[in-house]
Amino acid sequence: MASHVNRKEYWTIFGVLFVLTILEVGVVYLGIAKTTLMIALTGLALVKAACVGLFFMHLKHETSILRRSVAIPMSIPAFYALILIAEGAWRRLPW
Amino acid sequence: MSTSAVSAKDAASKHGGAAHHGAHGHGHDVQGDEHEHWQPDAHYGTASLGKIGMWFFLCSDALSFGGLLLAYGILRGQSTKWINPGEPELGINFTAALTFLLICSSVTMVLAHAAAVENKRKEMLLFLGLTILGGALFLTGQYKEYFGLGGPGLIEEGLIFGHSAYASTFYLITSFHGCHVLTGVIYLTVIFIRALLGQFDGGKHNHIEIAGLFWHFVDLVWIIVFTFVYLVPNTPS
Repeated sequence: MASHVNRKEYWTIFGVLFVLTILEVGVVYLGIAKTTLMIALTGLALVKAACVGLFFMHLKHETSILRRSVAIPMSIPAFYALILIAEGAWRRLPW
Repeated sequence: MSTSAVSAKDAASKHGGAAHHGAHGHGHDVQGDEHEHWQPDAHYGTASLGKIGMWFFLCSDALSFGGLLLAYGILRGQSTKWINPGEPELGINFTAALTFLLICSSVTMVLAHAAAVENKRKEMLLFLGLTILGGALFLTGQYKEYFGLGGPGLIEEGLIFGHSAYASTFYLITSFHGCHVLTGVIYLTVIFIRALLGQFDGGKHNHIEIAGLFWHFVDLVWIIVFTFVYLVPNTPS
């Protein structure tokens, strides 16, 4: 549906985005192992991006076809990134 | 809708004939433009053509950003030393503030859309104005980051485009995003003027929602850019 208005939901998402941004900057200063840090950063970024897409861009209220029309093309670069990371890890194995 | 009737009267008394026409001719139509009447589609529901078109564009734009970020990832992943001697590190705290600014402007954008749906003219104009202000402040922040304002910028500190993969990918990605913010500010200014002329009175929120999609996408991309360009630390894995 086109006209979904839920101000309480908007402010909740604002709070979530604010807290997750602080968490993101916080984990960088923690000084944890780089692989763990990268997984944490990627997870936090994806949750934030999903919050913006689902609630601010109203994807939650669109039809599932429109949601998938958007989600599938936008996830292709992420899949390509996964393939590249796997390939890089494979090459660095001590053969 | 009682709220709609009250604010329509308010708009009509303040803005004369044009607003009067808008409020009474289309006050019952909250689904979008008078040009965009059709039966709900079996697959796309009541999403307007303009909205689907914007999503098409955003998908292609996401692939552009995806290409730039993947090239950055490949270059950085292969390098043994990412930051060369004499090159500055990126400031995280200032950019975190810019990230927060964009999130705030996304909130004012959804609130402007909400006001447009509920036919609250003044509130719609206020929040559209705040969104434009947020975008303009972000651009000022990016100017300060590049060229310096009350202190040296990255260029003065030795991060020169073309001198290293670090510098080139940084400027390419962030300036491509900055162009999107600038486009968004211009786009929203046009929307603001059209709103001021009364074109979105009476609950005609479709164009505001479409402009909002673009603006939220710019915010969404910045979340990704901030994470992978700024937050990934410069330590060996």
